[in-house]
Amino acid sequence: MAAPLVKALLRCSDLTLGVRSAALRFPGLTQVRWSRYSAEFRDPLIDKEYYRKPLAELTEEEKFDRELKKTQPIKAAPSAHTSSVFEDPVISKFINMMMKGGNKVLARSLMTQTLEAVKRKQFEKFHAAASEEQANIERNPYTIFHQALKNCEPVIGLAPILKGGRFYQVPVPLSDRRRRFLAMKWMITECREKKHRRMLMPEKLSKELLEAFHNQGPVVKRKHDLHKMAEANRALAHYRWW
Amino acid sequence: MLKGVASLVSRVRKLDPGHLRLGTQAPQSLAAQLDNQVSFESPRAISCTNENDPAKHEEKHEGLHYNLPLQDVKTVFPHGLPPRYAMQMKTFNEACLMVRKPALELLHYLKNTNFAHPAIRYVLYGEKGTGKTLSLCHIIHFCAKQDWLILHIPDAHLWVKNCRDLLQSTYNKQRFDQPLEASVWLKNFKTTNERFLSQIKIQEKYVWNKRESIEKGSSLGEVVEQGITRVRNATDAVGIVLKELKRQSSLGIFRLLVAVDGVNALWGRTTLKREDKSPIAPEELALIHNLRKMVRNDWNGGAIVLTLSQTGSLFKPRNACLPQELLGKEGFDALDPFIPIQVANYSPKEFESCIQYYMENSWLQHEKAHTEEGKKELLFLSNGNPGQLERLCAYL
Repeated sequence: MAAPLVKALLRCSDLTLGVRSAALRFPGLTQVRWSRYSAEFRDPLIDKEYYRKPLAELTEEEKFDRELKKTQPIKAAPSAHTSSVFEDPVISKFINMMMKGGNKVLARSLMTQTLEAVKRKQFEKFHAAASEEQANIERNPYTIFHQALKNCEPVIGLAPILKGGRFYQVPVPLSDRRRRFLAMKWMITECREKKHRRMLMPEKLSKELLEAFHNQGPVVKRKHDLHKMAEANRALAHYRWW
Repeated sequence: MLKGVASLVSRVRKLDPGHLRLGTQAPQSLAAQLDNQVSFESPRAISCTNENDPAKHEEKHEGLHYNLPLQDVKTVFPHGLPPRYAMQMKTFNEACLMVRKPALELLHYLKNTNFAHPAIRYVLYGEKGTGKTLSLCHIIHFCAKQDWLILHIPDAHLWVKNCRDLLQSTYNKQRFDQPLEASVWLKNFKTTNERFLSQIKIQEKYVWNKRESIEKGSSLGEVVEQGITRVRNATDAVGIVLKELKRQSSLGIFRLLVAVDGVNALWGRTTLKREDKSPIAPEELALIHNLRKMVRNDWNGGAIVLTLSQTGSLFKPRNACLPQELLGKEGFDALDPFIPIQVANYSPKEFESCIQYYMENSWLQHEKAHTEEGKKELLFLSNGNPGQLERLCAYL
């Protein structure tokens, strides 16, 4: 009953532009992560400088690009992706990871309160320090955030590989994306679980970020533990086939 | 470096001769728009002024910040500053307040008050976050410097909500006492007006209970002490203080400033309930009853400066900011006639000055915040609202 309906829907959807076609793109491979957009859709470009350039200044490639954009369909830009000068993709990703139940307002406010807390703590340290050390104290919460996450990124990871009926933890290289994800994930989990019931997230997160900035604290320790495990299981490295 | 300043000064002279100030400071925010060099040369020149006495603030100081010495802040404002401003004071290790038009207007009126006439009521009103409370603080600082007696209620809304212990008043069985709020206020009153407490003598005998009473001719300081030590009698002590000050302000020994923030709490509703869960009206609270008498203009020898506030108010919609909306019919009729003073968002010059002040204290750490694009974006996001701008700059 359902099957002929679905086939009919798919047939008429072939005519409309952009909806995913019924025929698979690579026969033999099923797509696990799919999007409502088909292959010809381009990613949106949100850049004030690009669009403000007067026609005269464009190179040949850019002119061609502009002409092409007039005919090609473009995906809708997500509402959190703005043309603000203060926008930071790392911070946006972190906010998305902190978000629970789609409550972006709360996640964003927690992030801004954290940045403010980091800034105020650093200002306090700055005013308390002698003038020689004042140059060493970093007061920009964004540099502290980026550096802290960089310090939490592991260099090598472990993957469970099945061999002879047993799972072995094999050291494996990680892609950039996976490393950034792990750093953010560890930071958020640490702040959610290992804190006093009455302590608020911005306070805990600011404390953890400052410790990670100085290469101390539980998140960096977790990274070091992972490295040690990988070092210990060095002998199993040849189990990896990629 | 000097050539740059000289050419800058000559350019400014051509544009607007009236605005050049004497002294070492460079010209005002026009400089900020023209050139960023000047901020490196004389860092605090653009947004701050050296004139720290509120009595000497004129139109030429409009938009500039002046410094309040921290010692003064501890005595004059033990409880009066908004929490975010107090945080900023702690972070920057200094208290700087911007001189703005509503405050200048009020200062002008206060300087020309006739103390023989009944006290005039001034009401500061405006949208949320425009700077009513800080304007009130500016006025209080001026009056403190001029040696007035300051009667400052930091937030009248705190007296009509979240009161844990309500006692039935001993003086009048129909009313209720709030011992905690009254004793806290008395402590802060004592800190502000230490020197007047021994000079003013009460003119009547008051009996606290069967064993304790206070004689005619003893100083006001003793009444305040009694209120602080015996918390049960704190509300009555507050009532006595208000009554005596009102009676004696016309004698000319001192000048009285009554400053109430959130005066719309006196005529609104309360969230307090009796034991049988029936609601309490504001006039049944002794503190509110006495304060209402204080805010009437049947005394002379001072001034009454009031602020409306929607932020802490009860059962009022978010967009209510006008006196009629916040005070209601009863409150408006009680305060009528008053002089309304509107506090608005920052003008472009004030906005620029505020941004310069933050940059001078290195508060704006984001690289893009120093650019023109960043400033335009801040202006757009905050719409010139001082409160919103402060919150935006806090995380940038």
